[in-house]
Amino acid sequence: MPADIPVASTGTPSGVPARRGIPGSVATIALLLPSYAWLLLAVFLPLCTMFVFSFMNATPMGKTPIVFTLKHYQAFYTQPYLVKIAWDSLLMGFWATLSCAILGFFAALALARATTGRVRETLLILILLPFWTNGLVRVFSWTMVLREGGFLDMLLHSVLPDAGSIGFLYTRPAIVLGLVHGYLPYMILTCYIALVTIDDSILEAAESLGARWWTILGKILVPLALPGLTTGAVLTFVPVIGAFMEPRILGGRVGVTMGTVIEDQFTQAFNWPLGAALSFTMLAVVLAIFATFSGVLRRNSGAAA
Amino acid sequence: MTNVKINSVAKNYGQVSVLSDITTQFPEGSFTSLLGPSGSGKTTLLRIVAGFVTPDSGTVSIGSRNVTNVPVWARNIGMVFQSYALFPHMTVRENVAFGLARRGIKGAEARSQIDRALEMVRLPGFGDRKPKQLSGGQQQRVALARALVIQPSVLLLDEPLSALDRRLRQEMQVELKRIQRETGLTTVFVTHDQEEALALSDQVAILDRGQIVQMGVPTDIYEKPKTRFAAEFLGDTNFLTGTVSARIVTLSDGTAIRLADAEVAPSDGQSVTLAVRPEKIRIVEGVADAEPGLNRLQARVTAVIYAGAALTYVLTASDGTPFKIFAQNTTGTIIPEGAQVTLTWEPKHTILLQDQA
Amino acid sequence: MIALGKFYLLAILVFLYLPIIVMMAMGFNDSSLYELPFHFTTKWYVALADNSQLISSGINSVVIALITAVVATVAGTMAAVALGRRVIRGKSLLQLLLLPPIAIPWLITGTAMLVFFFWTGIGRGMHALILGHVALAIPYVVLVVGTGLQTIRADLEEAAMSLGSTPVHAFFSVTLPLLAPSILGAALFAFAVSLDQFVISYFLSTPGFTTLPVQIYSAIRKGFTPEINAISTILLLGSMAVIVVFAVFARPGGNRDKR
Repeated sequence: MPADIPVASTGTPSGVPARRGIPGSVATIALLLPSYAWLLLAVFLPLCTMFVFSFMNATPMGKTPIVFTLKHYQAFYTQPYLVKIAWDSLLMGFWATLSCAILGFFAALALARATTGRVRETLLILILLPFWTNGLVRVFSWTMVLREGGFLDMLLHSVLPDAGSIGFLYTRPAIVLGLVHGYLPYMILTCYIALVTIDDSILEAAESLGARWWTILGKILVPLALPGLTTGAVLTFVPVIGAFMEPRILGGRVGVTMGTVIEDQFTQAFNWPLGAALSFTMLAVVLAIFATFSGVLRRNSGAAA
Repeated sequence: MTNVKINSVAKNYGQVSVLSDITTQFPEGSFTSLLGPSGSGKTTLLRIVAGFVTPDSGTVSIGSRNVTNVPVWARNIGMVFQSYALFPHMTVRENVAFGLARRGIKGAEARSQIDRALEMVRLPGFGDRKPKQLSGGQQQRVALARALVIQPSVLLLDEPLSALDRRLRQEMQVELKRIQRETGLTTVFVTHDQEEALALSDQVAILDRGQIVQMGVPTDIYEKPKTRFAAEFLGDTNFLTGTVSARIVTLSDGTAIRLADAEVAPSDGQSVTLAVRPEKIRIVEGVADAEPGLNRLQARVTAVIYAGAALTYVLTASDGTPFKIFAQNTTGTIIPEGAQVTLTWEPKHTILLQDQA
Repeated sequence: MIALGKFYLLAILVFLYLPIIVMMAMGFNDSSLYELPFHFTTKWYVALADNSQLISSGINSVVIALITAVVATVAGTMAAVALGRRVIRGKSLLQLLLLPPIAIPWLITGTAMLVFFFWTGIGRGMHALILGHVALAIPYVVLVVGTGLQTIRADLEEAAMSLGSTPVHAFFSVTLPLLAPSILGAALFAFAVSLDQFVISYFLSTPGFTTLPVQIYSAIRKGFTPEINAISTILLLGSMAVIVVFAVFARPGGNRDKR
């Protein structure tokens, strides 16, 4: 051993306890506990409680004995107008989702194929920015555009001064428009993530094989964007059929949806069990849609791999 | 400086046995390579010595100290990771100072130790750079300096050269060997690169499925592999099977192969496997007599791989086994495919494997 | 095709921003009935100063958002570290449990909180709002910090331990400094989630304790006034600022390497 050892002898680390710390499992539980206890208290227990409430005869008040019943789940039989409202809500969700999908897919395509670098980055941030601002305020913004004598009419009258009003505030299309405005950024993002990975060479290969643009669109781009489209559709449809603030503000008197009916049970009618039962029915529909789409999604990604 | 003793160490993950009953020793100041395919348990063994993995049973001692239940941070080990694991938010100097600070060494004393460590790895003047501003080889040197500066009892290297390109890797091998000699540190080196293991080590341990199948000095490991696995894993090998009778192994076609004199012959009538390294074999075109005392085997050339300085012949031996030999291109003539050839080698290069067919 | 694509993107941006710009402009128009032609004024902003209800609900919003950001960031970071660095049985279930607060419509989560808090006597008001907002923000924090943690190699902590650090010291000296941008990003995110939250706040506020979005909603339901435009503009620009700061901090693979 050479005498010239490069560093002085320092021995074992001083002041370091030569024992193991607290057992790993205890530390893990301590780290997880705050978050999951909080979620339990503020999300999971409330959902369970509401599920129990949905079987109660009436909102428990004072000393009234609690009677359990299934009647609130039969509301769709006993109160047929609910079927119409539910159908309208689903239809509204469908139109909003479809509009988002078409507008969003092409926006994502344009973003992925027609822009690069800094421009693309900036555009992406600009598109996503409204999504993280207050939804209520954005819905309110549309009233400024759509109301009689609003911005839309102003545009029209600057061309045709004598035309009537084309403002369509307080109609179903107004609600759908507000919802599309709200959820379009999400759809653009999910489609963009799917489309941006497509290699130029795939499209060049398709062109070299004689494919025209509609073939490329239908046979390559849409199938490859399908996972993004599906995710975006689920993420749009679910909140849309639970919407109540958009229908109230943009729909006025025609804006009766499952969302507003449920809200009424909690804030006006004070029939919490019915509201709870309707909520869980809606949740079941949402989960069924989730399950269907995740099946489709898995099959598709499996085929693509 | 200290030796490392591993006594009956076993480790299972669930149903999977990663290490089974390992007992071995890394002598003071030695450079030991743990060599094996992925999944052989070599990294787990290193991590058990380091203290990142606790064995299910058995003990680990560093010097006279039983460290089996001592956590990593109190073992005083120096470790170099495959990814270097330099702290990206600290400068080179801060990286090297980290372990010293944990030992209460600060100020001028720390500065001079850091300087000496950086000189040792030939990176003086790089102290104020961030790891991202260094090349892969330079990062590797910093990682080494960081591990050395704390004057560890043992230096543990987890495939530290595998991320470098071939030329840089050879350069670092020389450096690593020099530094290890200078410091005299007991070093354990995990690698899957056989040439690296042979070039660097005082001793090589070959691991297979959680067991050390052979351990010894590099020449022994290469020239006298004990098992088919060891022979195959380390370099190219030809295998022959036959039956023993009076120190002669008779192949299925009747060819007689003499065992090395040093070899203890198994009892007559036993079926054995022999190994012959391709570079030990001489090749002559046609059916030729061998010099007396040499082993001789007839074969037919099935393919020739021409690589300029060297030639590789792929052959089929007379008993039907595939054979491969390396020949220096000394004459410039190449034996054509399909030709009948005679292979000869000295009996001392006939390796009798212990795991028999 | 490229020109067409750029034009289309421009049209999408107009669609996304035009109503917001119109709304903001109307907050500076003199007419209380939004009548044109446009006469510039800041009187609606001045009027805000006298609207004590709006101001107090605005303060409530900011206070709750601050508390939410701190609590959710601390709790969520702890959970993210445990999920990202430790061997846990049932880890995928724990990760799955983060989804309901994000995926279930807020209407359902909000009414469920109302029912549960009423039934257990927790009631409504500030504490209930904090309970709800933190629960909504935790999953986002876990996701943002967890993503950041994935970019930090686990063997850095092992290297620190081999040099003499205890696991706790290794975490605080190596991982935490590297994780700081993600944690800050997550805190801003949590702040924004809370500041913009309307549905849950709507069900959990009391007449005496509301947040700004709830106050705006009830004002809209009563009728449109340019004062709503003014306060909406402030809220919108505020949350946009928070998100822009967030985007700078949480840029994937951002400034961390260059520091």
